[in-house]
Amino acid sequence: MSQRSGRHRGVPAIRAENLTKHFGAIRAVEDLDLTVETGEVFGYLGPNGAGKTTTIRLLMDFLRPTSGSATVLGGVPSDPAVRARIGFLPADLAVDPRYTARDLLDFYGRLRQFRTRTGHDPAWVDSLLQRFDLDPGRRFGELSTGNRRKLGIIQAFAHRPELLILDEPTSGLDPLLQAEFARLIREMTADGATVFLSSHVLPEVEELAGRVAILRRGKLVTVSEVAELRAQARARIEIRLAEPAPPGAFDGVPGVVEARYEDSVIHLVVEGSMDQVIKCAATLTVLRLVTHEADLEEVFLSYYAGDGGGA
Amino acid sequence: MIVATRLLRDRVWSLLWWSVGMIGLVLLTTAFYPAVKKEGAALNELVQNLPDSVKALMAYDERIPLTSPAGYLNARLFAILAPVLVLVFAIGLGAQAIGGFEEAGLMEPLLANPITRGRVALERYAASVALLVSIVAVLAVASVALAAPFGALEGVSIAGLVGACAAVGCLALLHGSIAFAVGAARGRRAPAIAAAAVVAVTGYLIQSLQSVTDVLDAFRFVNPWHWYLKRNMLVDGVPPEALIGPLAVSAVLFAVGWFVFRRRDLR
Repeated sequence: MSQRSGRHRGVPAIRAENLTKHFGAIRAVEDLDLTVETGEVFGYLGPNGAGKTTTIRLLMDFLRPTSGSATVLGGVPSDPAVRARIGFLPADLAVDPRYTARDLLDFYGRLRQFRTRTGHDPAWVDSLLQRFDLDPGRRFGELSTGNRRKLGIIQAFAHRPELLILDEPTSGLDPLLQAEFARLIREMTADGATVFLSSHVLPEVEELAGRVAILRRGKLVTVSEVAELRAQARARIEIRLAEPAPPGAFDGVPGVVEARYEDSVIHLVVEGSMDQVIKCAATLTVLRLVTHEADLEEVFLSYYAGDGGGA
Repeated sequence: MIVATRLLRDRVWSLLWWSVGMIGLVLLTTAFYPAVKKEGAALNELVQNLPDSVKALMAYDERIPLTSPAGYLNARLFAILAPVLVLVFAIGLGAQAIGGFEEAGLMEPLLANPITRGRVALERYAASVALLVSIVAVLAVASVALAAPFGALEGVSIAGLVGACAAVGCLALLHGSIAFAVGAARGRRAPAIAAAAVVAVTGYLIQSLQSVTDVLDAFRFVNPWHWYLKRNMLVDGVPPEALIGPLAVSAVLFAVGWFVFRRRDLR
């Protein structure tokens, strides 16, 4: 499958240029410039109502831009030949309640036998059904929310698309299935696929994405590497000492943004590298060191709130 | 024709139940004919003394007694019951083809597949027309088959009877196409049904008031109900405008719906 990535070398999987969508007075997406490279997993983050789904609907040709343009897999989204290479998972998949999972997959399989493509590989579809433990004979109307979600994921991956556009893919999935989903994404990207993943919570995306964009009120706030965001992330540390905490011991230590001294406990908020903090702590008699894992959520929330927008 | 076939399969059971209903209606109508015929003279006298406006509502024709097969079938079946039933069927299909389908959230997942919007509109319209043709065929076959054993086919030409069924189908196609076009433009079911129903009721009212007042005469030439009801088709044959008129208007309505649906945002 490595020829897949070679076939479109140099062409970004998604490119949005000044992409703008207004609904009357509502500016759902404003002047969006975005490039998603072939083969990467791209996180698209923002609170509810930020314009994530609107962006996705523009990329799928469900909406037509007010101005600007979107290019997907080197073509226009309205071209069926382009959509044949996309796997799409909507935030809330609607299916005729009378259809069984098998009905839907067969129907989509036939539609996807487009030009030279072969549609669905039955062995692959069956393996997906097995991996997500979904009974293909049950009617959609009888499925639980979690099972509907599974069917959504399976139909998006069933034709081994080159580009996956997934709107809040793991909401409603239990942790076991989230892990299965993550494995599937890694397999697809190892094959050269590109993944565009939207979410309103960071942990959903953090583990998979190489880069993330953060969107707020229809505007792009930042695009950065997850590693970079993580470097900006703040860790909370609690140092328990054998002696009363010497006041001011950590003031001015590089990386420390906040220090509180409480009897024999020191609470620190550290940004970036922990090195200087550990070296400074080495001079004290430390009983326990409790760290709370680097929390991207905080970086993320600061963007949402707008006070970290310049970072 | 993957989308069209899928729609037809989704509607198989619904079509079956509608067919049962249609056959039941025809059976009920024809089975009562012998009783009506027996009361013949009295009934004719009664009807002749009715005011003209009431006679018009019954599609009464001086030359054709109500107790003759052609008069009876026309008044009982073709003047109102059959067209209304087939209209309801067609309007439901037309509204669901795009408007209702989209409102239920089913359009986006379908259009994520490699198929154009124009193709979806065309196939779903074509499948709806095929279903309408099927129900009209059921009406025609049932009318011919069930009228004969009750003696309700005497003096009625089979061609006239089948033609009348075709005219019912064309009238229904026109109103179904209104529902299709409005649904395609708005992506909603309710306005599609409302628009088609308003046109149907208005047309019928104008046609039935026409014998009482000539104020509305200007409208009769563009009124599909006038094309359909202007004469007893079982005796006089189908007027060409009862077929060609609705077909032409339907073609325009489909084209408008197709055009708008390809251009607009999905809802």
